Amino acid sequence: MDFERNADQEAILEALGGLLARHAGPARAIELGRKSEYDFELDAALHEAGFIELACGEQTGPLEAALVVEAVAKAGGVVGIGAAALVAPGVLSRSPPGPVAVSTADASAPVRFAGSARSLLISDGDSARLATIEPGAAEPVTSNFGYPMARLKSGEVRSESLGPGSGERLRSWWRLALAAEAVGTMAGAFEVTLEYVKRRRQFGQAIGSFQAVQHRLAECAVLLEGSRWLTYEAAADGAPAEKSAAAAAHAVAAAGRIFAETHQLTGAMGFTREHDLHVWSMRLQALRLELGGVAAQRRAAAEARWVHSP
Amino acid sequence: MEFRWSEEDSAFRQELVAFLAAELPEDWEKISKGGPGSDDQAAFSREFCALLAEKGWLTQSWPQAYGGQDAPPWRHAILGEEMWACGEPRGPQYMNVNWIGPTIMEYGTEDQKALHLPAISRGDVLWCQGFSEPEAGSDLVALRTQASREDDFYVVNGTKIWTSYANHAQYCFLLVRTDPQSKRHRGISVLLVPMELAGIEVREIPSVVGDRYFHEVFFTDVRVPVDCRLGPENEGWDVVAYSLQYERVGAARYARAARMLDSLADHAERRGLLADPTILEKLGEARAACEASRLLTYRVIDLRAHGHPPTADTNIARVAGTIAERSVSELALEIFGPDSLEYGSFADSHFRLAMTAGVAVGTTEINLNLVASRFLGLPRE
Repeated sequence: MDFERNADQEAILEALGGLLARHAGPARAIELGRKSEYDFELDAALHEAGFIELACGEQTGPLEAALVVEAVAKAGGVVGIGAAALVAPGVLSRSPPGPVAVSTADASAPVRFAGSARSLLISDGDSARLATIEPGAAEPVTSNFGYPMARLKSGEVRSESLGPGSGERLRSWWRLALAAEAVGTMAGAFEVTLEYVKRRRQFGQAIGSFQAVQHRLAECAVLLEGSRWLTYEAAADGAPAEKSAAAAAHAVAAAGRIFAETHQLTGAMGFTREHDLHVWSMRLQALRLELGGVAAQRRAAAEARWVHSP
Repeated sequence: MEFRWSEEDSAFRQELVAFLAAELPEDWEKISKGGPGSDDQAAFSREFCALLAEKGWLTQSWPQAYGGQDAPPWRHAILGEEMWACGEPRGPQYMNVNWIGPTIMEYGTEDQKALHLPAISRGDVLWCQGFSEPEAGSDLVALRTQASREDDFYVVNGTKIWTSYANHAQYCFLLVRTDPQSKRHRGISVLLVPMELAGIEVREIPSVVGDRYFHEVFFTDVRVPVDCRLGPENEGWDVVAYSLQYERVGAARYARAARMLDSLADHAERRGLLADPTILEKLGEARAACEASRLLTYRVIDLRAHGHPPTADTNIARVAGTIAERSVSELALEIFGPDSLEYGSFADSHFRLAMTAGVAVGTTEINLNLVASRFLGLPRE
């Protein structure tokens, strides 16, 4: 057991931090968000620097990839980082042509990044399927939830099965990616809120000094830190079904609480587009709805631990 | 980062599990239902801790100089996990090895170390903790129990309350005010008081948590020799702060909750409830909460293993533990339904012990205060 980052992990995060400072951040997310655009520039920079391939590296693995996903989400990156850095390498042991999106087979609802993705991983019961998305196969959808979204046109996506049992594997990696993205996104929302309550004064004092405010943020910190370590452990173990589901269950539930508290405590200012909170907060709701939502992640954790197939 | 156990640690856990299977009596489940402070469990702890001591496990994390083996904090955490998971056969003695011993090592005189540490290491001494008073609960520094100096004695007068294990204890780790003019943190001292001294009276406070769980301890003109004082006079608050850091995550309550949850899932399966999506959902939620609590506790142990000073991670772990325990105990009532209503039933026993989670060893509110100020850096004004 060792909960401290090793020198390699520190080096990865430092280099990534420099890249994200140049290519990501809330201002960039807001700019791209106006036109619902994907950040191909950031995507290319991450590929070029090797950050997408860490999950299958010789010296690195899914834990390093999860750290990258968390950091990119925290920087508000408009890229399908969870799918590219965790899900695809986890399921395929290689990186398919990117960007990568993930969806369920019956998806008639908007899918994150589907409008720009070239590869699509599909959860279809017992099997996973891999599809190449041709231009025009997805219809862009206007969304207020922080990611570029598109709806896949039925009949226009041809896919190959990845074999029996691959469906469960895909869902485990997806849940891990979801947890890692949620942790980074929660951290982004939480940090700007902390800054806000330390600075904002009412009744002659910082609102962050009121116990009613402090306790709510402290409770959020407990949920966020718990989600973080659940995610790291699930990643280090290679996304086993139970641990990935527990991480996702805890993280997306925490995301709901953090959405509510960050918006409550930043008041009307938090609703505006001039304040950065929405870059992260609105995404939290999108993450909460993915792959069946909070209830489904919780049931998956229980099924993986206690329900044995006959 | 590394989330796997070393081979040595895994081997130790295996050996420990086998030892428990061999040594715990057939009626252990019945004995353990009353909690660590029950008469049965306190009595059992004397024989059991002696066995643990023989194996060298009771105080293995202590320094060799004090009869330990300098085992890393992880080893002690594994011991705590396995003990709590099966209902804490060490009884009240978990406190001795977790924090009373280490605090005596840090602040004790040579005579105090010679008197207390070997007894704790042998596993045949019971302690209680004289902190809370009727007017000093969360606001512990409001304590008023007086210790007035008369020659080589302190004459102690006052009342301690909520004192678990007081009915069995031979010693009390007692906080007193040695400077009558003092206020708040100053003027407090720690006394290691033999409970056999004249003028100490223990009364049980009946409660819904269980029999012999809480006590009031009355001190009337109790003459405590000055050499029972631990640490400097009037500066006992530092001693308390030191001990609290060890105490708050000392009990691996999450391990108990996780074990209970596994049993609950078994019961749910037998009752045909695992097909119920709502029950599955709640089981999953509780499982995630137990796992989060485990990892946040590990985080605290890891900081200690790396030699870092204590942080508010301890308070985060404590709050997470309370969330986990509550979600399991509430689910127990739901799964067992009206069968929970019988005193001593599975759900009832667990529910009663879990009830105290947000209050024992510091309330959730105090823990949240400390997270807000120390972890989040939120301002006082």
